[in-house]
Amino acid sequence: MAEVRTADAEKTGTTERSGDEGRVVKRKLKDYRSEVKPTWCPGCGDFGVLAALQRALAERDLDPKDVVIVSGIGCSGRLPEFVNAYGLHVVHGRALPAAQGVKAANPDLTVIAVGGDGDGFAIGGGHVPHAVRRNQDITYIVMDNQVYGLTKGQPSPSTPTGMQALRRSVSMPKMAPYEGVLEGQLNILAMVIVYGCSFVARTFSSQATEMAKTIGRGLDHPGFAFVHAMSPCPTFYNTYDPWKESFMPLPEGWDTGDRIKAIDMAMEEVGDGVFHSGVFFQEEYRTYTDKLQDVYTKAYGDEQATIDALMDQYA
Amino acid sequence: MDQLDLTIRIAGENGEGVLTVGDVLAEALARSGLHIYTFKNLPAEIKGGASMTQVRVQDTPVRSPGDALDILMVWNQENYDIHVGEVKPSGVVIFDPDECEADESLALTQIAVPLQKITKTVIKTMKSKNVLAFGILTTFLGIPVEAAKQMVAESRWGRRKEFLESNINALKQAYIYVADNDIDLGLSVPVNQRNGHAQLIMTGNDALCMGALAAGCRYYAGYPITPASDVMETLAKAMPRVGGVLMQTEDEIAAITASIGASFTGAKVMTATAGPGLSLMVEALGLATMEEIPMVVVDVQRGGPSTGMPTKTEQSDLNLAIYGAHGEAPRIVIAATNTEDCFYTAVKAFNLAEKYQTPVIMLSDQHLSQRAQVMSRPDLSRIEIVERKQPEVNGSVSPQEFDRYEMTDDYVSPMPLPGRHGQHYVATGLEHDEHAHIDYSPEAHIRMTEKRHQKIESAVNEPGFVQRYGAEDAQLGLIGWGSSEGPILEALDRTLAKGYKVAALIFKMLQPLPEKEARAFIESIPVVSVVELNASGQFANYLQGRLAVSLKRFNIITGLPFKAGDIEEYIEGVLQYG
Repeated sequence: MAEVRTADAEKTGTTERSGDEGRVVKRKLKDYRSEVKPTWCPGCGDFGVLAALQRALAERDLDPKDVVIVSGIGCSGRLPEFVNAYGLHVVHGRALPAAQGVKAANPDLTVIAVGGDGDGFAIGGGHVPHAVRRNQDITYIVMDNQVYGLTKGQPSPSTPTGMQALRRSVSMPKMAPYEGVLEGQLNILAMVIVYGCSFVARTFSSQATEMAKTIGRGLDHPGFAFVHAMSPCPTFYNTYDPWKESFMPLPEGWDTGDRIKAIDMAMEEVGDGVFHSGVFFQEEYRTYTDKLQDVYTKAYGDEQATIDALMDQYA
Repeated sequence: MDQLDLTIRIAGENGEGVLTVGDVLAEALARSGLHIYTFKNLPAEIKGGASMTQVRVQDTPVRSPGDALDILMVWNQENYDIHVGEVKPSGVVIFDPDECEADESLALTQIAVPLQKITKTVIKTMKSKNVLAFGILTTFLGIPVEAAKQMVAESRWGRRKEFLESNINALKQAYIYVADNDIDLGLSVPVNQRNGHAQLIMTGNDALCMGALAAGCRYYAGYPITPASDVMETLAKAMPRVGGVLMQTEDEIAAITASIGASFTGAKVMTATAGPGLSLMVEALGLATMEEIPMVVVDVQRGGPSTGMPTKTEQSDLNLAIYGAHGEAPRIVIAATNTEDCFYTAVKAFNLAEKYQTPVIMLSDQHLSQRAQVMSRPDLSRIEIVERKQPEVNGSVSPQEFDRYEMTDDYVSPMPLPGRHGQHYVATGLEHDEHAHIDYSPEAHIRMTEKRHQKIESAVNEPGFVQRYGAEDAQLGLIGWGSSEGPILEALDRTLAKGYKVAALIFKMLQPLPEKEARAFIESIPVVSVVELNASGQFANYLQGRLAVSLKRFNIITGLPFKAGDIEEYIEGVLQYG
């Protein structure tokens, strides 16, 4: 059944969303499962993120041929392998620029960038503000486990400072043997809000339904959507128990249109020892593609004649 | 009459306008049917410091910047002192007597023209000093005032009508001054012939931009860097007009990875940078090789290492271009030789990238990128464009059955594109099998390594990337690559005319190395020397390593391009004294 339907979609060559003509049955979560079984440790939070993403894709009935998932390096960087869609697995820290190239060259594609806290906020941290500035319609899911998992447990930019994290990790003391983690903890969510991001949300891998919904809202948001997906690493820094305790929804009636309040909340919750889930901030700005369309309207012409005309300036 | 060949240099304080004088003179002469070749040498700072611009004019295509100067115009003492030693014994120095004192002991014709005073007291607009200087030069070149007026009107000085009158007046004052003082150099540069739109006056960077557009480049990502920034600026204007995207990224790493992303969707992509940027791109270049993603990376080489000499020229990124990678990441490396060649080499770079699904590094350099030359207007309808091998659209092969890295006879596999082909796959920098699945087995690594290498090696059979010149029975052979072609061939012609038996072999493809041609040349000539603008002889070392031969070298590292005279002297030295 699934194959027949996929072939149909390919014949129409459509990039339209759900409700394509001639298709009765919508895609299901399993249609976004690839033949590759995840390589993550048992209990990894990334399983939850993967399932939530697949569910969000299924709910939108997106044709796998029109979806590109871009990742860098790290445990979470392997995610594209496990999804039945196009994937682009690049070098460490560069998922965002690669995703922006994909989207710029073909704005009709659904582009999702995924990666970890190290990939996105250590080696790749310089790219985040610029992806925000361009505001392309890309959903960026950061699976934050506050540790470098693939290299066996070193502290990351989001690891709590001092001795705190070391109590839950057998590996971290290797890198922080005396006074704990010397560097401060980066407030990833606050940073992204301050950068001016048009959609900022947080969600927890243990809350599957809510995570699928949040990722879905990110996919629906026309602009750069940042999803802070807390996703524990049971092997090197097991935070399941404390995070289950400290996760709570944003207050009832939360105003997603107030950036200053969102910053306040992102700053204050750290002191309170809680993580709020939900959409902190959302506002629609014109995207990079929108602006390009305006440029094209002014400049576009017959390609070869245009190049010939451009050469006149050198005559 | 002897062949027209004049080298004219104008030097002054950077920011004062000497460069404009040179540009306008070069453009005006080129529009008058002559061939020009410009050469600028400036500091990396925006204002201040000595800067100079030079125009060599001939009635046939010019191949090198010129040796000693026929005419030197200096605006101040510092520049007089720097440049006066380069004037030919028969040459002329034009200096401003209020700004500098000429060395009377020199056996040169030295003509005092009070540029500053005339501008201040007669023209009364300081901005017109460069038009006056231009007029002095055109008068001395024997260009009639009416023709010179037309040159000014057609130049940037004539663009704004409100300034045209005062600029024409400044020009007239030059002719009046020269007539009043009865100066005549006896020159008469022919400017009667008019070039229509058939001839273009372009820099190497201009030409490569137009070549890239003609080849179908529709995505460019880049980060500002001297001397590659004007590629980005030119394309910023051009790209939207052909429906393309130009993205100024936050660094070179973003530029190359964004280009990879764009090419993944099927766009023809380019990024241009200089050595420091190429260093940053090295990791992602390996990714493009691994994922078999076509892309063009232009490296406009400058003096290095580190920040080095951003506004000076050098051929010193060859090692980085060929070998810069962890693991083994073969790629194609080609080099352009002159302005016109920048256009066609850019077209070839795209065609090679698409045909072999590989990154192609195109080497240019500061001098080649910034100098202006005349080229025939390319006929766009005759440019051959190569498209990427792709699966059939609406093909029935399912993603599960499809092999993105299928082993084919030519090692190039059909590449599905998102949004277009149903055979979706995950491109990864990890070692993989034909199906694009991660595979670290010895068998997979051996097969895929061979695929990546053989694919690139087969590009050595592409025509037109290596060319032999000169005597069949040469006693001395010169090997050059890229932009040293012009001065090498000019020196070759001069020494052949003197009866020396010399030959040259010029490479435009550096990786894969056209080994057969290299070996045949080296084995047929008793002494072979590699001529390049770097200290260690990077191409010589590469050839020696690949061919197990011993080669002489001729290297200069002044930060300046080769003069034909440098190479001519070298040839004579080797053949006379060994």
